[in-house]
Amino acid sequence: MMVSKGNQQYPPLRALQASAVLRRASDEHKKEPLASSSQQHFDSPPAGHQPEQKPQGPHPSYTGQGGQESEDYESEEQLQHRILTAALEFVPEHGWTAEAIAEGAKTLGLSVAAAGMFRSDGSELILHFVSECNSKLSELLQKEQKLVQLGEAEKKPIDEFLRDAVEARLRMLIPYIEKWPQALSILLLPRNIPSSLNLLTSMIDDIWHYAGDQSTDFNWYTRRAVLTGIYNTTELVMMQDSSPGFEDTWRFLGNRVADAMAMSSTASQVQSTGEAVVQGLMGAAVTIKNLAGLNQRR
Amino acid sequence: MAAAAGPAVRCSLWQRRSLRCGPGPRPVPGGGAPLRLCSTQAVPQAGINKPVIDRIIRVDHAGEFGANRIYAGQMAVLGRSSVGPVIQQMWNQEKDHLKKFNELMVAYRVRPTVLLPFWNVAGFVLGAGSALLGKKGAMACTVAVEESISEHYNNQIRTLIEEDPEKYKELLQVIKQFRDEEQEHHDIGLEHDAEATPAYSVLKTAIQLGCKAAIFLSERI
Repeated sequence: MMVSKGNQQYPPLRALQASAVLRRASDEHKKEPLASSSQQHFDSPPAGHQPEQKPQGPHPSYTGQGGQESEDYESEEQLQHRILTAALEFVPEHGWTAEAIAEGAKTLGLSVAAAGMFRSDGSELILHFVSECNSKLSELLQKEQKLVQLGEAEKKPIDEFLRDAVEARLRMLIPYIEKWPQALSILLLPRNIPSSLNLLTSMIDDIWHYAGDQSTDFNWYTRRAVLTGIYNTTELVMMQDSSPGFEDTWRFLGNRVADAMAMSSTASQVQSTGEAVVQGLMGAAVTIKNLAGLNQRR
Repeated sequence: MAAAAGPAVRCSLWQRRSLRCGPGPRPVPGGGAPLRLCSTQAVPQAGINKPVIDRIIRVDHAGEFGANRIYAGQMAVLGRSSVGPVIQQMWNQEKDHLKKFNELMVAYRVRPTVLLPFWNVAGFVLGAGSALLGKKGAMACTVAVEESISEHYNNQIRTLIEEDPEKYKELLQVIKQFRDEEQEHHDIGLEHDAEATPAYSVLKTAIQLGCKAAIFLSERI
């Protein structure tokens, strides 16, 4: 496929070099209004003279001698980040696809071939979106915690905290709700499961951390498992919710959180009853030992 | 700055001088702020080698938990014998160790090992079982376990020093102190005729093998 930028023709490049080309192209885009004379430079040589088409002057040089980067050199990761962020705007229209990524690249002044940097099923776009939502949630929770620490806000009871955190996180899906079922199915592809699971578990861990969970025993796992269940089921309910303002979903969420609280209090009741029973049995055993004269000092 | 968090803040062990951005809560200097005990303040997550520190704290926590259960088992059998007070004193120190690691676990946001319920039972069984072999048996178990733990702590100290002794100063301090105390327990065990146990070397090898397996698993799972 040919990437053409204005009057220049570039030969087909592999994806690894594509970003370098795109950066070059975007830099030239920036330079165009200023350096029309250098533009002429590139016009005259015929298409066969590739080496002469390399940008000269103050362009960042990445001609393979690793480490020769100027200050405004953007890493590939940062570039991808920018493209994906820009692409999110086009998701409601195009879905989680390469088209959305291509549109996003266009708004940044890059060629539509930028979408070639990513996989065609849109996985990276979805993972990027999930990761961004998680970061936003983290910031939100951190801000709230600071307010509580400063005494400017009341510390919420756990069930309210969990409910609000999950609701805040799910509300971030609302602009993309039409296409979200598609995203969920892509996240369940075997290839994406490690990353999506990782993102899910770190988000749940974050919520519990800010909720003030300090468990260091098996409770650590039960709490996270329960919250993951609540989050996933609520997300699925949200997909099929057509009530105004998703009020059905929030009501469902409230009920699930209440269930979880009830379950945990039942569990602790069972445990204390069990302990009382054991104490009773031990007492009986000691009494019998005493009566039988077995309780001697060694 | 974290260090200015007010007079009620105790133990300089957890004061951080530089604020970093990370998921942990930042200590806020404020007169009216409800002060949290610094033992529960989170350590800024940026800049530390999370995988390594995670493993270290997870396995140490599991180890102290297991040691607690071992002494509990021994006390259940030998509690009213003449070595009862000795075992009780060692047990109390292990309880302190466990408390410290609980705090570290929350501060560094480390997950505990899934095998905790298993170590709960296995530790108690080992303690009670060795105590049923007699006082010398219990002491032999103590010697074996404490020797494993001391070696393990020494390895961790080496790892942390190789990483960055300055950055992990507090953690190193804690581990060094605990290593010294475990070594003391080891010596106490020897003083109480651990080596006179029948089949001492077999028992010791078996227990140490078990400890190595426990350490391997707890680091990962």
